[in-house]
Amino acid sequence: MANKFGLPNLGIGLGLRTTHYSTIIAEKPDVAWFEIITENYLRTQGRPLDFLDQIAEAYPVVMHGVSLSIGSTDPLDREYLGEVRALRDRTKALWVSDHLCWTGVAGKNTHDLLPMPYTEEALMHVVERVRAVQDFLGSPLALENPSSYAEFAGDSMREWEFLGRLAEEADCALLLDVNNVYVSSKNHGFDPMTYLNAIPFERVVQFHVAGHTDHGTHIIDSHIGPVIDPVWQLLAAAAQRSSGVPVLLEWDAEIPSFEETHAEALRAREFIGAAA
Amino acid sequence: MNRQPTADALGLHERASATPARAEFQPESQLGSAPSWTEGKLDLRMQQQWFAAIVSTPEAEPAPVDERSAARLITPSATLSSLGRIDIYRQGYHARLIECLIDDYPVLQHALGEEAFEALCRRYIARHPSRAPSLNFFGRHMSELCRGEALPEPVFAADLAALEWAVVLGIHAPTAPSIGFEDLGRVPAERWPGARFTVNPSLRVLRFDYPVNAYLQGYRTDESPTVPGPRKSAVAVYRTGRSVWRLELELTMVTLVESLAAGATLEAALGEVQALLSDRSQEDAARLVSHCFQHSISSGLFSAVAL
Repeated sequence: MANKFGLPNLGIGLGLRTTHYSTIIAEKPDVAWFEIITENYLRTQGRPLDFLDQIAEAYPVVMHGVSLSIGSTDPLDREYLGEVRALRDRTKALWVSDHLCWTGVAGKNTHDLLPMPYTEEALMHVVERVRAVQDFLGSPLALENPSSYAEFAGDSMREWEFLGRLAEEADCALLLDVNNVYVSSKNHGFDPMTYLNAIPFERVVQFHVAGHTDHGTHIIDSHIGPVIDPVWQLLAAAAQRSSGVPVLLEWDAEIPSFEETHAEALRAREFIGAAA
Repeated sequence: MNRQPTADALGLHERASATPARAEFQPESQLGSAPSWTEGKLDLRMQQQWFAAIVSTPEAEPAPVDERSAARLITPSATLSSLGRIDIYRQGYHARLIECLIDDYPVLQHALGEEAFEALCRRYIARHPSRAPSLNFFGRHMSELCRGEALPEPVFAADLAALEWAVVLGIHAPTAPSIGFEDLGRVPAERWPGARFTVNPSLRVLRFDYPVNAYLQGYRTDESPTVPGPRKSAVAVYRTGRSVWRLELELTMVTLVESLAAGATLEAALGEVQALLSDRSQEDAARLVSHCFQHSISSGLFSAVAL
């Protein structure tokens, strides 16, 4: 147990996607664990849960949310949190994560990971909400650094400082997405190693890797295609700074066969070395 | 009257933390000039309201701020203006929700054509922004929207959307094992008239002005169907196990199912069906009633019988 929360190193896992359900259920492939997108299994009593129940019986799962909206100035959605907690208990998910972002305001949900201003005001706001969420869930929340395409003029600190202080002050876990570090470093012009050097790795419970789309003027975190070498190198650098952090591949568009997706995830072995 | 399985995917608007690949910044997009916000510092909530207002503004409309105002909140990058950076989110917002509606309404998209359907989706998004954490039910207003839109065949489009939405609801509805003839064989003959049936909890019976199930099935079997003329039809949509079924219903079957679903005894429900067949010979009517009941059982519409 290398992280301060005692959460296990699950090895190399895959994001669970509907196109792979039938292969997983029929062939029971040797995969260490799956990450589910929380919201795909909320407010349904039907087929999605049928599949999930069967998969969660056979594999360890963790939950990755996209609608917690931890940075929003709207009140925390207690009904949603209750559903998240119930799904965690149903699937015996080992941890729950979401993003350092906001997804909407004034009751509307954009279903996008909108960027936070990195200010003292925002930091205090998010710290308080993370504490409230962790109290509600009764377990640590892991927050992921998002990819971003915009920076606020009023920022008083950089994202890595905000994230590090947030983790310490709210006593939460971190999900470090090294592809997001890469994407944001290109979009905002910073050195990704500066970012990694500021991360409190004892709080990192999971790594993400993914593909992205380079549009020349900016990079979109599209989760398309294989992971590029500079992102693998960032994973290697992050793994060197930590010990025993599980790695997960996200592939969300133009998804290839299960075998190909899994093979891409397993490439992480080449870069995490002894930390695997 | 064979039931047809939906050949849909697996029942999710698969959400992810990815930005849709369609969300490319288009330098030629019309951001235009718009009112700048008033002077003064914006607190976190005001910043979020301001940002969300731009993101949710339809892409065909100018952003509600000009570049100078945008730069007060968002810094330009080495390659993109302030509004250009926000526009990535604006396009991502619309692209994600359009993808969701395409997932729900592939046949409506075929019927209207891609361009007209996308325009319809944009009006949908403007009129019905999401307020839920999940996108599972985001598309629920499509039939209602179609009915009021200036589409070539708005009633057909509304009927088709209602059928496609019923399939989505079927995916997410709870279900229960169906009863079969072997279960009915255990019912003593004298108890038949008073028997009451519980319908599959996922069952929905829909009545249409157009034969939209035939159109949908034509699409699914790659027949490139054309928009049909009006003809009354009815369809049951329900799930057994992991399969969602569409069952075209004759009026007799609609009457039987709706009557039993409302709690009528079998005798009363069959009496209603019989009444519809008053122009038939007694023998013919009895045969049709029997067939109707047997078909409802073999199709798996009921999950329990109580005596």
